[in-house]
Amino acid sequence: MNGASDPQIVLQDVSKRYDTASGVVLAVERVSVAVRSQEFVTLLGPSGCGKSTVLGMIGGLIQPDAGRILIEGEPVVGPNPRQIALVFQDAGLFPWRSALDNVGFGLELQGVAAARRREIALGLLEPMGLRGFERKYPRELSGGMRQRVAIARALALDTPILLMDEPFGALDEQTRLLMGEWLVGVRRRTRKTIVFVTHSLQEAIALSDRIVVMTARPGRVKEIVDVTLPYPRDLNAPEVVDLRAKLWDQVKEESLKAMEGGA
Amino acid sequence: MKVFLWRAAVLVAAILIWEAAAAPLNPILYIRPSSLPGAFVRMWRVPELPPLSEHLWLTLREILVAFGLAIAAGLWLGFLLGLRRSIGRIYEPLLAALYAIPSVVWYPSLMLFFGLGPASKIAFGFLLGFFPIVLAVLAGIRQVPAPLVTVAVSMGARPAAVFRKVMLPAMASTMVGGLRAGLALSVVGVLVGEVLGARSGLGYVINYAYGLLMTAEYGVLVVLVAGAVLAIDGAGALLEARVRRWAG
Amino acid sequence: MGRLAVIGWQALSLAGLVLIWQAAGRWGWVDPLFVPTPAQVASALVGTAGEALPRLGDTVLKAVIGYGLAVTLGVTAGLLIGSRRMLHDVAMPYVVALYGIPKILILPWIALIFGLGLSTAVLNAALFAFFPVVLMVAAGTRDVDPTLITVATSMGATRWQIGRKVLLPAVLPSVLAGMRIGMVFAMLGVLLAEMFAGNRGMGFFMQRLAVAFKAPELFAATAVVSVLSIAVVLSLEHLNQRLGRWR
Repeated sequence: MNGASDPQIVLQDVSKRYDTASGVVLAVERVSVAVRSQEFVTLLGPSGCGKSTVLGMIGGLIQPDAGRILIEGEPVVGPNPRQIALVFQDAGLFPWRSALDNVGFGLELQGVAAARRREIALGLLEPMGLRGFERKYPRELSGGMRQRVAIARALALDTPILLMDEPFGALDEQTRLLMGEWLVGVRRRTRKTIVFVTHSLQEAIALSDRIVVMTARPGRVKEIVDVTLPYPRDLNAPEVVDLRAKLWDQVKEESLKAMEGGA
Repeated sequence: MKVFLWRAAVLVAAILIWEAAAAPLNPILYIRPSSLPGAFVRMWRVPELPPLSEHLWLTLREILVAFGLAIAAGLWLGFLLGLRRSIGRIYEPLLAALYAIPSVVWYPSLMLFFGLGPASKIAFGFLLGFFPIVLAVLAGIRQVPAPLVTVAVSMGARPAAVFRKVMLPAMASTMVGGLRAGLALSVVGVLVGEVLGARSGLGYVINYAYGLLMTAEYGVLVVLVAGAVLAIDGAGALLEARVRRWAG
Repeated sequence: MGRLAVIGWQALSLAGLVLIWQAAGRWGWVDPLFVPTPAQVASALVGTAGEALPRLGDTVLKAVIGYGLAVTLGVTAGLLIGSRRMLHDVAMPYVVALYGIPKILILPWIALIFGLGLSTAVLNAALFAFFPVVLMVAAGTRDVDPTLITVATSMGATRWQIGRKVLLPAVLPSVLAGMRIGMVFAMLGVLLAEMFAGNRGMGFFMQRLAVAFKAPELFAATAVVSVLSIAVVLSLEHLNQRLGRWR
């Protein structure tokens, strides 16, 4: 069906419009991207460029107005918890559930038995350094911990694809860097395809195989940059510094446009 | 625009349905909206009802006195409990406990002590209106951002100045909210007192009309009083919004 | 000031109040006809217990029924209004307005149609308790974090699952808060109805005592109802603390 070299995720000329009080706004315009299996692709761009919208469309939460999105050759019609798991910037943990019960939520929806859910959840929380915190409520956890629980919740679904929308955006700088390193380890162990959204060049370079630079609204693909450096990446290496400078030229132009356009 | 039309439609529909439902039923028991305008005209002149204007005036005076007392006592107690932390820690829980008691249980005792005249209504209105004011003062003091006070003190402001120039403005919108609630409750207190046992006042007239089964007149009075209360509260809401815009 | 000291001062103040009150009555500072001494109230408490308690039970029963009615209607209405934007914008001003109207004005009409007994008291209790419940539940429903729903949707939750596993627990604190406040309002509604048009129950009993100038008995009855109300509210608060560990 799907050849080993065929892309896992395909976006073909995808567009999305929104009706707002001040008229119709084109959020995403004719975006085409192909993601191969086990690749880490980052959507990079200024605020309001539609990258979250693109992610939402891949995840089946938003319907495109034009173009189509294929996962493993099949068009996306809605949320697909067997293939795709999402992580949001706001961890979105259910405050009335413990960390353990949060992680098991997706499995609970699928009717997995309680004992098995517990087993899987503990198995995910422990390597994250959250052993002993499984009974805590989100209110009792720090921002970084909450985001780890949210990621564990997504991992629990054991999907081939993981979509992450600025998951470290609400964290302080040090935590962000640590979480990035940790994510690289998770990816290596689980071999998932990851589509990651961020506005941070640093993060994009540290984590991705390919970076899709998006324009200011309406979001189009401006450029796609390959990053072939081995992990873990030394952010002070000359290649990285070059890459950052090159990316900054691209992104700066779009950021300025976004600022002026009041996006 | 659409919302406004829907709201108007709901109101009109409600009146029409009521009219239709009440039409075949006993007009005395089930007040028909269509009977209200006629009753409105009649009630000022009909001899069976006591003279409305003087009772209205009495009720207004009772409300004013009750609210005035509530403001005075409410502000005094609120600032006492709020500014003197040690006294507050002791007596605030007791006050909160009192708040759990359905207010109307005090009324028979007030009636026994003050009699059936305006005094018991004023006392009850005062009792009801005083609570929200105290609570608002306490809440207001609590939410004055400590950094503001620190800044003022570091600039050499003396306690009285800090109070006037920092605390009061910071508390302003909460306090106006409390005053608004206090007014609403003072009004309710006076009206309840008059309905339950009085020889004068608007509530007494309403009770009187009801007693004579002049239900259409009773209906008109209810609509008018309800409208007046809503109008007063609406004015209070506008004032509160104004203060909030100014004071933040 | 430590917790123990605070409680100590509270107890001291209350005891002091009772002592001054007793002294005031004994030494004629106040007319014992209008303000009975604590001693008189205490003995009246014992004396009227036989008559007062069944009446209190009657009142509480009506309050509970009215409360049940109000909570059922109020929670349903609150959930509906809070979850549908259009319904909320259209209906909310009316709910707020009706809440702002002194409900005492309607009581004579209810009494006219339903008579002097149980129905009037129950309906009035329901009327009083309904509004705080609706307002709190509607607010709580509106405030549900939309990310939580998105998370559940992305995991393939059906509408039923979202309702049961996300909306319900998210809304529960507001529902419980509304129910707590509703209880006091229900009691208020019953007592008011009994005082206006009752022939049984505590409210009616208290009115009768007042008219007969039986001050000690009236004070005793007032104290009983007050203590009961405080006890109910405190236990609901305690229950709230126990259930809300995650907040």
